[in-house]
Amino acid sequence: MTDLVERYLASVERRLPTETAKDIVAELREALEDKLAARAAELGHPPSTDDVAEMLKAFGAPAVVAARYEGRMQLIGPVLYPWFWPAQRTAIGITAAILIVLAAIRALASDKPMQAVMQSMDNVIGGALTAFAVVTLVFVGVERWADPEQLAARSWDPKSLPREHIRKPKSMFEAGISLFFDVLFILFWMRFIPFPNELPLRDGASVAITLSPAWGVVYGPVLALALLAAAGHVFDMLRPAWSRVRSAMSIVGYACGLGVLWVIFQGRPFADVQPQPGTSPEELERAMRLVDGVFLVSMGIAALVWAITLGVEVYRQIRAGRVSMPDVRAAA
Amino acid sequence: MPIAADILEALRLELRRGTLILAVLGTLRAEQYGYSLKTRLAEAGVEIDEGALYPMLRRLESQGLLVSEWREEGKRQKRFYRLSADGAGALEQLTAEWRAMNAALNSILQEGGRT
Repeated sequence: MTDLVERYLASVERRLPTETAKDIVAELREALEDKLAARAAELGHPPSTDDVAEMLKAFGAPAVVAARYEGRMQLIGPVLYPWFWPAQRTAIGITAAILIVLAAIRALASDKPMQAVMQSMDNVIGGALTAFAVVTLVFVGVERWADPEQLAARSWDPKSLPREHIRKPKSMFEAGISLFFDVLFILFWMRFIPFPNELPLRDGASVAITLSPAWGVVYGPVLALALLAAAGHVFDMLRPAWSRVRSAMSIVGYACGLGVLWVIFQGRPFADVQPQPGTSPEELERAMRLVDGVFLVSMGIAALVWAITLGVEVYRQIRAGRVSMPDVRAAA
Repeated sequence: MPIAADILEALRLELRRGTLILAVLGTLRAEQYGYSLKTRLAEAGVEIDEGALYPMLRRLESQGLLVSEWREEGKRQKRFYRLSADGAGALEQLTAEWRAMNAALNSILQEGGRT
């Protein structure tokens, strides 16, 4: 049985209910073995990787094959469904993060911070629900009008199936977008892209913000981590199937990222805030609280997201170690 | 105006869907494993996509119409399916239904051809 077929079966198995997965995969393995034998007899020699890939493509994308065992009508079909919850998490996460940061800024700038926070909570909940509704409508619309099963049948490539049972490889588009943001950040971090450091408070009053010395300590590590992230996304484009190596790179990246956040957190205050002419001591005090709060909330959100992602990657590595090749005799 | 190919394809699939189950039940009066069943059906002129065949076999088995067992053949383990007693009864009733429907349709289609 070829490596490509085993990767295909692992991809199908990952999408099946645990209690029936091994039995179904054992039967699919039997079917593919028969097809391979028939193809070899037809060709007069063992099928090449391209022949096997063509056979698997005709058999069906793993998500579609696995979904046929469910036998239920779905509002969002098997091709789009793996994207549905990640898209929801991203949309709700970004919306909530923006609204929470705005709420924190509003609270810090207000004389009655608790009241301001309570007022903003409605916006956060409303925003998250709106994001959920919009994403759901978009998915239902795409499912209804674009026929993703047909698109997937034409465009999926068996050779890009993951080598290990870790995670779905990133598409060229996803990896490209991520790489674009990596490059943007690296240019900003290396000061090729200037960032305004003056925060206006009111007409004629402003403060100048400079990062604290702790940021200088982590300059090199942050640059190295950004380069590692960019290398990871290039890796996703060139070797989409090497998911276990990629997952290990992510674990290293997120763990070091959390370390960097810890170093910056220890070096509080995060920034030095200097008054410009015309700024009163009260305005300076409020600006310092505001800047510190914004850094704290942003870093807190980053730490939470990275810790969760790190946990997910570690779980994937552990799960990958547990998945074995289905044993036909055991299934029988 | 000629009918769009995708509409025709959807109609064709709809027409075939119910008859495939009848073809599978009919073929499984004799024991078969997945690939041999597909080959038998193809020889009889009934093409079926494996991605649909295997889930259908499991569904029919869970409905009690088929029974299956793993057995070694040609040094490989294979899952053999055959009609259960309930499946044989269902096949008999569905066959009668099919014949009645076929006769009715023939009559309708021939009448349509004469007008």
